[in-house]
Amino acid sequence: MHRTVMKYIYRLVYIIMPAAIVMAFLYAPPAEGLGESSRLLYVHVPLAWVSVLAFSVSGILSLLFLFTGNGERTERVHAARNSAAIGLLFTVLATFSGSVWSKLSWGAYWNWDPRQTSIIVLMLVYIAYFSLESALRENSSRPRIVSAYLVFAMVTVPFFVFVVPRMFPSLHPDPIINPDRQVHLESAMKISLMTAIAAFTLLYGYLLDLANRVTAIKEQQKGHLL
Amino acid sequence: MVKTIIAHIKKDFRIEFRNRYAASVSFSFAFTTTLAISLAAGGIPFSPQTHAVILWIIMFFTAMSGLAHIFVREEDRGTSLFLQLNSPPLAVFTAKLLYNVLLFFILQCLILPVYLFFMQLDVQSPLFFLGYVFLGGVSLSSSLTILAAIVSRAGARGALFPVISLPVSLPVLWVVIQGTSRSLGRAGFSNPGDMVFLLAFSGTITAVSYLLFEFVWHD
Repeated sequence: MHRTVMKYIYRLVYIIMPAAIVMAFLYAPPAEGLGESSRLLYVHVPLAWVSVLAFSVSGILSLLFLFTGNGERTERVHAARNSAAIGLLFTVLATFSGSVWSKLSWGAYWNWDPRQTSIIVLMLVYIAYFSLESALRENSSRPRIVSAYLVFAMVTVPFFVFVVPRMFPSLHPDPIINPDRQVHLESAMKISLMTAIAAFTLLYGYLLDLANRVTAIKEQQKGHLL
Repeated sequence: MVKTIIAHIKKDFRIEFRNRYAASVSFSFAFTTTLAISLAAGGIPFSPQTHAVILWIIMFFTAMSGLAHIFVREEDRGTSLFLQLNSPPLAVFTAKLLYNVLLFFILQCLILPVYLFFMQLDVQSPLFFLGYVFLGGVSLSSSLTILAAIVSRAGARGALFPVISLPVSLPVLWVVIQGTSRSLGRAGFSNPGDMVFLLAFSGTITAVSYLLFEFVWHD
């Protein structure tokens, strides 16, 4: 019942994503000083948000697999892997969109700004996870070991996403990331940004649901063959 | 439990003393790298930032070459199953963690004078410099111990260990490189906030490692 409800909620992406695109290009005004390039905000920020969300979901699923269900709920490991795969895609896109915006705003594609560094480190974590998974292919303990690594990496994420970037000066703008924890944007821009974030979150949920269903079918087929 | 931990540490150091594999490989790596950089530089002075970066790259890869050995050795010699049956996981992990911290501390005590001598480094704030180096070492070795246990169960360990370690070590490297650079360049430099961060990071990582070790250790 819960899964069916979520499936229909994810399908709202067919309505909200076009709305987000229209709002980003037609409703939201260009930002002062940045001009039309500021419309990258409605792509880059949601992509970065989903990168961290996907990673957190992978970590939580791994935590649930390790600490509940006696290590038998392997569908959680598969779901964590699918979430990590989607997260890696979104991280690459966030890095790409961020570097285009960086070139337009700061004159260089890459500056090792603390926020840029944190997204690259997130990408490294995803790559390390998949490398470890491949290296453990013949090992029956693979689900437990990769889950342990993901949980371990998840604990370090708050340090390099939230703590360290605040210890060093950043080129990233204050309207979004600031000590007040408020979004200092004009209301049209704020609404467009929130819509874009909601659209990308639904897109992530939709892709994850699809990937989990494909994995479940593959596992079923494997079971029949054996 | 304490007696078991001490017995394991003594055993590990005794084995290490007999064949000196991890210590000699790690120290040789650090020594040859320092010499190569000093030779290539040809006496050209580096900025404090450059020194900090080079020093910590050497430290990091020294850790890569030596800190996985404590678990890899158990798997290669077939003694890990005996350890799993004989000792509680908590005791095994504590012993391996303390061994790695002590081993890396010893390696840093050997590497640092070599680096200071061949690179002709002039340290402006010695107390904070040493604080960053040794606290950074503790943070690195405490975060890498459980990763050593993970990598010992996998294939392609030599290449895999740096791949899975770098993302986890980056917060530490980020902070210690900046702090080391400032302590080299500025007399009277002090920033206890960085030390607090390193302690907090080590504490958190060690606590999480204890929770996760059993899942990695047992088949």
